[in-house]
Amino acid sequence: MINLAWRDISHSLGKFIITALGVGMLIGVVLVMIGIYRGMMHDAMIVPNNISPDLWVVQKDTLGPFAESSRLHEDLKYSLKSFEGVKEVHPLTFQGIQIHRNGKPIRVYALGYESLSSFKPFTLTQGRAIKIRNKEIIVDTKTGFNLSDKIPLGRNTYTVVGLTHKAVSSGGDPMIYLDLREAQELQFLFSNEQIRNERERGAQSVATAIVNAFSLTLKPGFDPKSVGDEIQRWKHQEVYTAQEQSDILTKNLIERSAKQIGMFTMILLVVSSVIISLIIYTMTIGKAKEIAILKLIGASNLLITKMIAQQSLLLGTLAFAGGAIFANLSADYFPKTVILIPTDEFKLFLIVIIISFLASLSGIRWAQRIDPATAIGG
Amino acid sequence: MKKMIISVENLSKTYGEGQSAVTAIKEATFDIYSGETVALLGPSGSGKTTLITMIGCITEPTSGKLTLDGERMYDQQWKISDTRRIRREKIGFIFQAHNLIPFLNVLENVTIVPRMNGVKKSEADQKAKELLEYLGIEEKLTKMPSQLSGGQSQRVAIARSLANTPKIILADEPTAALDGERALSVMKLLRKLAHEQEVAIVVVTHDERMLPLFDRILRVEDGIVKEAI
Repeated sequence: MINLAWRDISHSLGKFIITALGVGMLIGVVLVMIGIYRGMMHDAMIVPNNISPDLWVVQKDTLGPFAESSRLHEDLKYSLKSFEGVKEVHPLTFQGIQIHRNGKPIRVYALGYESLSSFKPFTLTQGRAIKIRNKEIIVDTKTGFNLSDKIPLGRNTYTVVGLTHKAVSSGGDPMIYLDLREAQELQFLFSNEQIRNERERGAQSVATAIVNAFSLTLKPGFDPKSVGDEIQRWKHQEVYTAQEQSDILTKNLIERSAKQIGMFTMILLVVSSVIISLIIYTMTIGKAKEIAILKLIGASNLLITKMIAQQSLLLGTLAFAGGAIFANLSADYFPKTVILIPTDEFKLFLIVIIISFLASLSGIRWAQRIDPATAIGG
Repeated sequence: MKKMIISVENLSKTYGEGQSAVTAIKEATFDIYSGETVALLGPSGSGKTTLITMIGCITEPTSGKLTLDGERMYDQQWKISDTRRIRREKIGFIFQAHNLIPFLNVLENVTIVPRMNGVKKSEADQKAKELLEYLGIEEKLTKMPSQLSGGQSQRVAIARSLANTPKIILADEPTAALDGERALSVMKLLRKLAHEQEVAIVVVTHDERMLPLFDRILRVEDGIVKEAI
């Protein structure tokens, strides 16, 4: 049998393609929203994954460095090292700060680590790691800085010695890496005027040997949960396994954003289905005479139903293809990471197909009620 | 021996109910035979279209008997799908405006009915080409309706009405949109078809100049159908 749907579409192909691309932009936005959610999940785990500890030790009754403020004395690392099964202890500081490049402010997330140890919580793409404690800094390419660039930070000016690529915090801010001492000064050292004020208020000294968390790696064969329980019991600090910290990040921090994105996605899908429905309905109304002729010459309702449903499905498929191309081409231009996964795209494709089919029902119902006598006229 | 193709007996159609009821056709009775050309003549609103839509199995009569090619319509067992089948298999329609499907080319417009009847594409195409050749528009096979003149479009519509080898052709003012010369040529063509292919042709017309071309004339006035002498 002649494919009426395709013949009708090819008769006004330009109009159909433009309509499909219009709907495709909406579907593309849905795909980007899903991609932003995936990007958030991915970004949130970059720093923890790069540090890759077996256990996190943070201030008692806090959720750890990514979710809540946590302060610990740096010398705790010595007692942590003494626990059975602990192989390495790395003190870390985390701080959101603002730097400037060509006069423009850039939000960054600073990680302080023991630069002279073998511990390297990043993957360099250019340059080298910090070798000496002399105002060296590693930055992500997203900051726009290059090797040897100078960055004023606090009281000092730092030189870029290494670059990472796509290393961002859970908030999407590019990472910078500093030596622990320098990071501690940056975070905890007051200005000269404030130190004077503090002394006058009776403060003995201003402690800067503070860290936000410890990352612990264990010797092979030791259960992180058991070692963590021991540390919690004796040192009265909060201990999380890597999985627990990951859950805090993804569930506590990102859940609300994910719900927000989910809501937007749902609204966009509803809007898309209403628009597809209206387009199919309007397209069907525009073919009232042709449908009446088809009925008059004996076409079954099934043939007409197939024509409308196929057009709707083609519209959905073409719109999805347009949307997917739009999303894939534009993903890199979004300020935050957008990750498009084939399985997400496939699931959205199925949803679009279902929506397209449901959207065609109003047109089909209308077409089935057309009286073939209207083709004859009176 | 002419075969009776259309048998109408006391056929009536009433729209609405009670006081607002309007009887469009009152107890029409006539027979039409194969190879006959019959004109349905009458003023606007006289019931011609209602009559043709009842014969074409589009409008269900309120009462009376309708038999098409020996098959009794609207009896106890009839189904809506029967009317579609009858229209597909036994009736060809020609309209005032040619009413070709705008998104199908000439060949597809002609083959759509046989293809719906399950005829193979090659077979349907062959028959369509023969018909278009017979009607003198074989060179327009791949053209779209928008690329044809009024006369050419009406010839394609005639080819479509013949593509399913119908027993009946129902035409609603097929020459209304054509100039005098083309109108005459189309009517002569229909008459030739009726005689050569033994098709019963019923034509709704206002054009009295065409009447000499018909074998019989049925006048419809206020819903009453009478044989004109």
